[in-house]
Amino acid sequence: MNPTATVEVERLAYAWGRRRVLDGVTFSLAPGTTTVLLGENGAGKTTLLRLLAGLLRPAGGTVRVLGLDPVHARDRVNQRLGLVPDAPDAWGWMRPRDLHRFLAAHHPRWDDARAEALLARLRVPSDRSFRQMSRGEATKAMLAATLGHDPEVLLLDEPFGGLDPLAHDDVLGAVVDALATAPRTVLVATHDLDVATRLGDRVLVLADGRVLRDLAMDEASSPGSAGSRREALRSTFAAAVRPG
Amino acid sequence: MDARIPLRVDLDRPTPPSRQLVEQVLDAVASGAAAAGDRLPSVRDAAAAALVNPNTVARAWRDLETLGVVEGRAGTGVFVTAKGPDVARRERRRETLGALRRALAEALRAGHAGADVLEEAHHAVARAVERAGEAAPARAAEGKGGRR
Repeated sequence: MNPTATVEVERLAYAWGRRRVLDGVTFSLAPGTTTVLLGENGAGKTTLLRLLAGLLRPAGGTVRVLGLDPVHARDRVNQRLGLVPDAPDAWGWMRPRDLHRFLAAHHPRWDDARAEALLARLRVPSDRSFRQMSRGEATKAMLAATLGHDPEVLLLDEPFGGLDPLAHDDVLGAVVDALATAPRTVLVATHDLDVATRLGDRVLVLADGRVLRDLAMDEASSPGSAGSRREALRSTFAAAVRPG
Repeated sequence: MDARIPLRVDLDRPTPPSRQLVEQVLDAVASGAAAAGDRLPSVRDAAAAALVNPNTVARAWRDLETLGVVEGRAGTGVFVTAKGPDVARRERRRETLGALRRALAEALRAGHAGADVLEEAHHAVARAVERAGEAAPARAAEGKGGRR
């Protein structure tokens, strides 16, 4: 184990029923870095993020977040970790301010003003219930709520899916600002290669239940030297998941 | 003075984002848009403007410091050095000359006659000089005539 890593995963395995989704996942995240997690649909990205947040129990291998086991020390880990899920996990009747009241009770570092300012910046009405929100609004509300407790470890599960171009840039801007205001260790699962290139210090490619590529973003390259950065990342991804 | 440098990251280019930011600052310093003593945007502001990870901006600012174009002063920011304009012009000349040679070689490989390529280059230079002549009075009026 690497004592300086913020997140350390070794030979992690997980199965949904008889389907082994993750089978020997090993990687670590250095403090203060942002890593992009790429993988085809069903590759296990959401499962991996949920394992890191202690919401699922590994079938094998180990997970350490901030030196702790997120299943056994879930409360302690959760005070310093934020997960923005791919589908909002707030109750439909809740408005952002109800969610904030709930989170304030569980997070010593909760800052109501910060969460409210983020909602305003992201143009989400704080008195609208999650049931009444569009997918984009709900994602933005979950991001504001997550950043409200100033997490050192931030897990984002496809936060850019289904957003219109303006909402997309609003969310990207909010994430960039969150990275600038405090050192955070971030793992972003996304299919959006533009976002990946803009945010990632590193790239992990998840396929066949394992991490098949683990490289610095600038090392991503396409066969021809003239390709764009977007194409370089696409080539790296394609070469990992569909070799030959 | 705070340098006003338009910073953006173009994902259609093959150049990594941090290198693109380095080039944009070098361009601004080489052209006089940012002068010696001017302050670069903070990492936070630059990241927000270019919509990139602040780590990418920090790396670009570090690379510029290694080149000697800027220097960090504790607590106050990152400033263009006295020798910054000279270094930036030298860097940009070196890089752009390489790009020009590659473009010329590619044009010749594609079957353009040498004489045609030369003529095209001649016209391009004449047009650029003409444009610079139009732009120069405007720059002088802004009090930024330090372009040699």
